[in-house]
Amino acid sequence: MAGPVSILIAGGILPEHGLGGAQDLPISRGLVILGAGAAVAVSFLVLALAWRTPRYDAATSGRPAPPWLASLVDSAGWRGALRVLGLLALLYLVVTAVFGKDLLTNPIFGIFYVWIWVGMVPASLLLGRVWRAISPFRLINAGIARLSGSEPGDGMLAYPERLGMWPASLGLLAFVWMELVYPHNVDLSPVRLWCAIYLGLMIAGGAVFGSTFYARADPFEVYSTLVASASVWGRRDGALVIRSPLANLDATPATPGLVGVVAVLFGSTAFDAFRDSTRWLTFIQGTGYSPYLQNNLGLLGFCVAVGLIFWLACVATAVGPEHDRRALPGQLAVSVVPIIVGYVVAHYLSYVVEIGTQTLVLASDPLSNGSNIFGTGNLVVPYWLSYHPTFLADIKVLAVVVGHVVGVVVAHERAIKLLPKRHQLTGQLPLLAAMVCFTVGGLYLLFSS
Amino acid sequence: MSRVPSLVALVLVGVLTLTACGGSSSAASNLPTKKIAITINGSDTDPNGTEIDVKVGQPIEFDVTADKAGEIHVHSSPQEQEFEYPQGSSTFRVKAIGAPGLVTVESHTLDKVLFKLKAE
Repeated sequence: MAGPVSILIAGGILPEHGLGGAQDLPISRGLVILGAGAAVAVSFLVLALAWRTPRYDAATSGRPAPPWLASLVDSAGWRGALRVLGLLALLYLVVTAVFGKDLLTNPIFGIFYVWIWVGMVPASLLLGRVWRAISPFRLINAGIARLSGSEPGDGMLAYPERLGMWPASLGLLAFVWMELVYPHNVDLSPVRLWCAIYLGLMIAGGAVFGSTFYARADPFEVYSTLVASASVWGRRDGALVIRSPLANLDATPATPGLVGVVAVLFGSTAFDAFRDSTRWLTFIQGTGYSPYLQNNLGLLGFCVAVGLIFWLACVATAVGPEHDRRALPGQLAVSVVPIIVGYVVAHYLSYVVEIGTQTLVLASDPLSNGSNIFGTGNLVVPYWLSYHPTFLADIKVLAVVVGHVVGVVVAHERAIKLLPKRHQLTGQLPLLAAMVCFTVGGLYLLFSS
Repeated sequence: MSRVPSLVALVLVGVLTLTACGGSSSAASNLPTKKIAITINGSDTDPNGTEIDVKVGQPIEFDVTADKAGEIHVHSSPQEQEFEYPQGSSTFRVKAIGAPGLVTVESHTLDKVLFKLKAE
């Protein structure tokens, strides 16, 4: 798994750029065929056998969480404690960014690329809307609102509804560009600059548009909330409910720009796998053009291709004359979320375990002066997964196939809600084809890189 | 309605059981040394981004021929390795790869991937 910081594992060698440490072995051909076959088979089984009348209703699905849990997570003390935790984390990051050394032993790189970006996925899947809970911007925004006597939700202007999540998809693209393309992504000053711009935009955006801005335009909050919709934690009329991930995904509203977010998330993860393949390496090193330029085009190409395939498949869906087919991509985009989560698990599992632990070791010494402030400085990094490549490969394929199955079921539910009776089954075929395309493509990339 | 989840489960169990017996990794100690010739001429390198198979635990040797002195990095984990080669021919003993995986070997000087060691 070659994120930019794989190299952190190295003890002291400082390379010019972040080309990875050891990566996972590719999965075997047989496993790819098996996984792809399972994905296709399950897709058609769902189509043929699943329910024909809508099963989930966001207004009624889920059962209320136990009263003690609901009152705990909704208590001012709990919310405040999480916000303070977020603020302390931000302060820690600022200190490491400003006073830390420009070395790979600075934990900021691992926190930025591994904990925040990758670790947020399992955290949100297990615990719900994590970023929203700890977002220091929401705390700052609430503080400003209290001082000026206004509501945190209201800014100076109403957030334009049509803008939707498009700003967040741009933000996500800016992050993955930094992670996957920018050659100096493990130098301190570019990371510091990226974070400073992000910080400034978030505080300014919140002041202008109120806290709605964070739900729509904060790339990390949008990502985390989207993954949380595949968790068991949901909200119904503001009350905490526990419901199946299928019902929870179904309750996710269609927001403009969701297609863009989904395209960037899946496209970039796929590109991360692709850019490590020997085929791409030999190609870009052989053309004579700058690898930087070609990687830029590659990343953009993957995101655009994913968005386009999905959009075309949705628009090709058979609908009645009364239905606006251009609304379909937004209404169906949530079905790609489980595919993204499955693929992220497959692609980053060993990375998040190994480099994530390594980052915890480094985090104890933020200024690279030999201190051990959290007492985690002597943790041993677990390489168990690397030593069991067959098990790791099985988990990867399982994650991809489970993600695919959940995605297909969510798409099926949406389709029978949205499509006229006569098109309910045939209408799903183009989207099904697109999803099989994503899953098999993803498996192929795990095989070839 | 409940048939779908059980069918799904069946397929998944199938995936797991069929793959449980695949693959094997045995680190043998008496493997012959893997010799890899590396030629660097200006910004041209041979190999140029290919994949080279080695065994876990197999001794590795780089035979470098270069028109200028430079540096090669082996991105193995947990410990990286780096080699400074002079102009002309030189030979380096590389520590064996300890865990299965893909290890990138790059020319630090040219900022280019020479090859990847695929250790199984």
